[in-house]
Amino acid sequence: MEHAEKTVRSFKDEVMAEPGGQHLQRCYSCGTCVSMCLINQTCPDYNPRRILRMVMLDMRQETFENPTIWHCSSCDLCYPHCPQGIRISELMQAIKNIAVREGYESPLPTSQVDEEKCSGCDVCEKACPYGALSLVVKTIDGKERKVPQTNKALCMACGICAAACPLSAITVEDHSNEKIAARIQAGHWLKKTRGGEPKVLVFNCSWNLRAEDDRAAMAELPPNVRVVTVPCSGRVDPTFVLSALQAGVAAVLVAGCEPGQCHYKQGTRIAQGRMHTLHNMFEQVGLDTSRVRFVQIGTEERGRLPAMIMDLVAELKSARVPVA
Amino acid sequence: MVDAARHPNITVMSYTEVKRVEGFIGNFKVLVEEKPRYVNMDRCNGCGACSPVCPIEIPNEFEEGIAPRKAIYIPHAQAVPLRYVIDLDACIHCYKCVDACGKLDAIDFSQQPRQQWLDIGSILVATGFDNFDPSVIKEYGFGRYPNVITAMELERINNSAGPTAGRIMRPSDGKFPNKISFIQCVGSRDERYNLYCSGFCCMYTIKNAVQWKQTHPDADITIFYMDIRTPSKGYEEFYRRTREMGIRFIQGRPSIITEDTKTGNLFIQAEDVGLGRTIELESEMVILSTAAIPRIDTDAMGSVLNISRSPDGFFMEYHPKLRPVDSPTDGVFLCGAAQGPKDIPASVAQGSAAASRAARILNADEWEIEPIVAMVWEDRCISAQGKKCGICATKCPYNAITVETGKAAVVTSAKCHGCGGCVAECPHNAITQKHFTDAQVIAQLHALLKHEPEKKVLAFMCHWCSYGGADNAGTSHFEYPASQRGLRVMCSARMDQDFVYEAFRLGAGMVLVSGCHPQDCHYITGQRVGAERFEKLTKRLVDLGISPQRFRVEWISAAEGAKYAQVIREMDGALRKIDPQALKEEIERTRPELERRVRRLPEIPEVARALELAKV
Repeated sequence: MEHAEKTVRSFKDEVMAEPGGQHLQRCYSCGTCVSMCLINQTCPDYNPRRILRMVMLDMRQETFENPTIWHCSSCDLCYPHCPQGIRISELMQAIKNIAVREGYESPLPTSQVDEEKCSGCDVCEKACPYGALSLVVKTIDGKERKVPQTNKALCMACGICAAACPLSAITVEDHSNEKIAARIQAGHWLKKTRGGEPKVLVFNCSWNLRAEDDRAAMAELPPNVRVVTVPCSGRVDPTFVLSALQAGVAAVLVAGCEPGQCHYKQGTRIAQGRMHTLHNMFEQVGLDTSRVRFVQIGTEERGRLPAMIMDLVAELKSARVPVA
Repeated sequence: MVDAARHPNITVMSYTEVKRVEGFIGNFKVLVEEKPRYVNMDRCNGCGACSPVCPIEIPNEFEEGIAPRKAIYIPHAQAVPLRYVIDLDACIHCYKCVDACGKLDAIDFSQQPRQQWLDIGSILVATGFDNFDPSVIKEYGFGRYPNVITAMELERINNSAGPTAGRIMRPSDGKFPNKISFIQCVGSRDERYNLYCSGFCCMYTIKNAVQWKQTHPDADITIFYMDIRTPSKGYEEFYRRTREMGIRFIQGRPSIITEDTKTGNLFIQAEDVGLGRTIELESEMVILSTAAIPRIDTDAMGSVLNISRSPDGFFMEYHPKLRPVDSPTDGVFLCGAAQGPKDIPASVAQGSAAASRAARILNADEWEIEPIVAMVWEDRCISAQGKKCGICATKCPYNAITVETGKAAVVTSAKCHGCGGCVAECPHNAITQKHFTDAQVIAQLHALLKHEPEKKVLAFMCHWCSYGGADNAGTSHFEYPASQRGLRVMCSARMDQDFVYEAFRLGAGMVLVSGCHPQDCHYITGQRVGAERFEKLTKRLVDLGISPQRFRVEWISAAEGAKYAQVIREMDGALRKIDPQALKEEIERTRPELERRVRRLPEIPEVARALELAKV
């Protein structure tokens, strides 16, 4: 046998043979990706460095059985900072691909299609940043119809499709239209006058606050401010904004990530587009555009969002915007 | 430095640039240009009366820009020689310094650059290093957050002769920071900037931390590191003592620093690898240990001295293990960080070694060189016949050949290193290389291809890399087919295209030309000379009707034994796949044209005899 050639194909080799996997062995465990990653805010066990380590040590079974391998949403915050130039999200995708081939399934929530309501218009497929939705032909009520189907391995449950669907036929668990409405109204927030203080509704994405202090500050805002956390600013359906304004909210602030830092690749751009359209509509019908605001927070911007909300409240108080 | 300035045999020429270097080992002619100081060196006594009256204040380079300096200044307090200089870009010509200088009358605005040629025996390059600018690493916020500073800035703040008189204060508010963090490997061990480890940052960071802790025992000090590298004598013990002093070491490379705009404090985010969890650490000041990088003018200096750079950008040594102090050009020696990042003891050791290497030359009347130098047959050189040529001079990596139309080319033996590039490139076969003459190589070629040449893989190997690679394949037991026949020359530059034609004429089944990877070439640019030739040759051989798989060019380092074996295996495999009858036909078909190409070989001295002997 030749020394230079390997005959046994290990798990590590298999991952390295996948597109994006080739630089795996460069990793020297500096942990830059781990601390850059925002997923450990919601899932403290998630550690991309450790997953790469497990692959390098050929721990096939343990890797696939680790529920955290499905978490990476390819936001690529880590990759530009990796001193070894490892495309971590592509590596994670390579691991997922092999896992899917071996019959493993993502335990994470995904989008769900209500096939009864769906008209097969295909807007969702175009909106999805992951290509997780595709139209398939199905027989429903004896009729052959085209409806979208979710690829569970690709869907990251960002809810961009749900916001895009004109028929509310697609939704993501925990962030359905009903649940978001319930969060806005909880404690009869819309009905109470709050002593005449102008009410501010904030739709905040789950990933734009890196600092612990900022996350704490968001929980301690005055009662006339309501923060509704959505997975992504792309989840915000313009109808949420309109119905809130109708119900007497003085201003709605939608906060997403800086473009290029979006946890779901395109969500913040999609939200930006939607809010822009909303502003155009407001201008056409003569409504005050300053009542709907959109902001993109960079991952290094400590303290910006809480300060911005307090400034908005102060501005509304001084301007005495008449409550509709 | 003061000792050097006082030494009767040492002349210090400060503020002077090397413009040109001619000649060779022991006999260099060096053109230097002394820049105008606008201060008369003989009259100025360094009293310093001029500087305080100067109204101009600009950032002081020596103080890392933290403190100002005047337009008339000395670089730093210990400067040798202690003579002032006027920065004419900043000067407004108010002439207050002239008044202050008074009777000494040392200031002279009429000074011009002065050039002079010097006779020099040997040259030492001790140009040092630059510091990496961390502002390009956006996530650390240097230049954006005032309290993120470099280790060099800390050195100045911490220095009792520095701008704060040794009182440590942070830039944003001048307060003493009690909670500080050091970040290691900023711009080094990072493929985005510099792949290498600077080697001495670990030690100076530990030193800074210890100093801080000794003067401020309550200070909360953290060092973020990937690996602590303390390989020299006594270093690890120092590191251990530092840990015992209560300085916190966190293994983990910070990914991002955010700033609280109200307090100016910094929040460092990193994974504590030992803990396996992300932490956010608040610090009042962050100090970045930046990479040591090659001096900005390394390229210009290298072309003046005719010395090359390694892939990391520092000057390349002659041999990394056996001649680490010598440069590729004889008589030029490297010391300190100009050759690669190193700490003080290593710089001192290399400096002393370089000085003694250089002194050998100064004390010798004669100098022994390698005997494999190039030699011109004056009667064959067309330059001697008044025709314009000079190809040999353009291919020489050492500028060892001078060509003057009307005279034969002249090889300065002392500068020649024996790569053989000129020999292979000369279109009139007017140059030869001693011990690697055309006759000798052709004799070997004939011997190697004497029996069943169509079944052989003929491999031309360069002495330093691919021959080493073949050797490595042997010592590492990487097997390759016995059909390989090796022919060693000094450099791929020596592999004359006529040798390849001759090999195919003799019916060689396969021909491999192999040499160093471009950055490893032992003869600075020899590999490039060869590579250029083989690129053209590949096309020519195809035009001749030789199947493309029969000729291969590979760059194989001395460590790549496995690659060498692999290449030979592949070539042997490819040869076996060719139908023997078809191969025979191809050899016969191409022979007349090949014969035409090498028809002038027997004109070269000794070659005819070699061919004669080969027939026997």
